[in-house]
Amino acid sequence: MVHVEIKAEELFAIGPLIVTNSMVGVLLASLVLLLAAWWFRRRSGIVPSRGQSLVELPIEFLAGVVRGTGGRRWRQFAPLIFAIFLIVLTANWLSLLPGVGTIGLWEGEGEHRILVPFVRAGAADLNFTLGLALISFVAFIMFGLRANGVRGYLKELLIAEPAYMTPLLTPIHLISELSRVISLSMRLFGNVFAGEVLLATMLALTTASIITIVPLAWWVPGAFFGLELLFGLVQALVFALLSMTYITLAIAEHRQHGSGDDHSGETPEQGTAPAHGSA
Amino acid sequence: MDLTTLAAGLAMGLGGIGPGIGLGIGFSKAMEAIGRNPEASGTIFVPYILGLALTEAIGIYALVVSLIILFAS
Repeated sequence: MVHVEIKAEELFAIGPLIVTNSMVGVLLASLVLLLAAWWFRRRSGIVPSRGQSLVELPIEFLAGVVRGTGGRRWRQFAPLIFAIFLIVLTANWLSLLPGVGTIGLWEGEGEHRILVPFVRAGAADLNFTLGLALISFVAFIMFGLRANGVRGYLKELLIAEPAYMTPLLTPIHLISELSRVISLSMRLFGNVFAGEVLLATMLALTTASIITIVPLAWWVPGAFFGLELLFGLVQALVFALLSMTYITLAIAEHRQHGSGDDHSGETPEQGTAPAHGSA
Repeated sequence: MDLTTLAAGLAMGLGGIGPGIGLGIGFSKAMEAIGRNPEASGTIFVPYILGLALTEAIGIYALVVSLIILFAS
C-alpha cells in the first residue's frame, strides 16, 4: 500500500513559521513565473518574435474568453484571472517533473519509515488552494461593492428577485455564495491530490507487478502522466474561469427589464444580406 | 470486516453515481448542440468546460472524503 499523507509534510521551521514541502513547490512555481516574466519583458517587442507569439497564444485565448464573458469592465479583473490561471498551471505542471514527490528524506525508524519528499505539488496542500479561493472570494466581494456600492450590493445579496420569496431564497443564495470558497478550494485540492495518489499507485503497481513486460511497465504510468497534464491544465482553467464568472455576476447590473442586449443587435437585414451577396 | 475500508469504498462508489450521470448528460447535450450548429463549438466550449468542472467537483468531494476516511482516521 502506497503511503499517502493528506497534510503536507513539514521540512523545517523558521521560528514560528513551518515550511512544508508544498510551500517549496509553490515557491518554485512563483520563481519560474517571475523568471519567465523578467525574461519575456526584456526580450519582447511590438513586433513579436516566434517565441513571444507562442507564449502569447494562451494569454490571447484566455483574454478572448474573459472579454467575451466579462462584459464592459473586463480589463479591471483580467490581470487577476491571468495570475490565478498561471500560478495554478505552473504549480500543477511543475509537480509532474521527475523528483517531485520521490526525492526526499527517510524519516521514522524501523517499520514506520516514511519518505518525506523535498518538493510536493503546490496544490496538493489545502492551505494553498484555500488561500487562492479566499483571494477569489474577497475579489468578487470587492468588485461587487465597488461596482454597485454598499447599498446596491447588500440589496442584491439579501433581497431575492420576487421580493416575497426572500425568506426562502435568501438563505440559499447566501449559503451558495459562501460555499464558493469551499468548492473552489476542494475542487483544486481534490484533483491534484488524487492525481498524486494515482501516479504513486500506478508507479508502485508497475514495479510490483508480476507482468514484467517492459513496454507495459512504461506505458501505464506514461498514460497517467498525460492525464495529469490534461487535468492540471483543465483545473487551472476552471479555477480562473469560475473566479471570472463570480466577479462578472457580482458586478453585473441586475434588475433591468429587457436586458437582453445579446440579441438586440441583430436585424433581419443583416441576416439576409449575405445571401443576396453570394447569389 | 474493517468498517473503515468499507466506508471509504462506499463513499467513493455511491458518490460517483451522480456526477457520472450528470457528466454524461451534459456532454451529450453539448455534442447535440455542436451537431446542430458546428460553428458554435467555440461558443459552447467555455461554458461546457465550466459545467464539466462544477459537476465533477461533486465527485471530487466524494473522493476527498474517501481519502480522509482511509488515511486520516
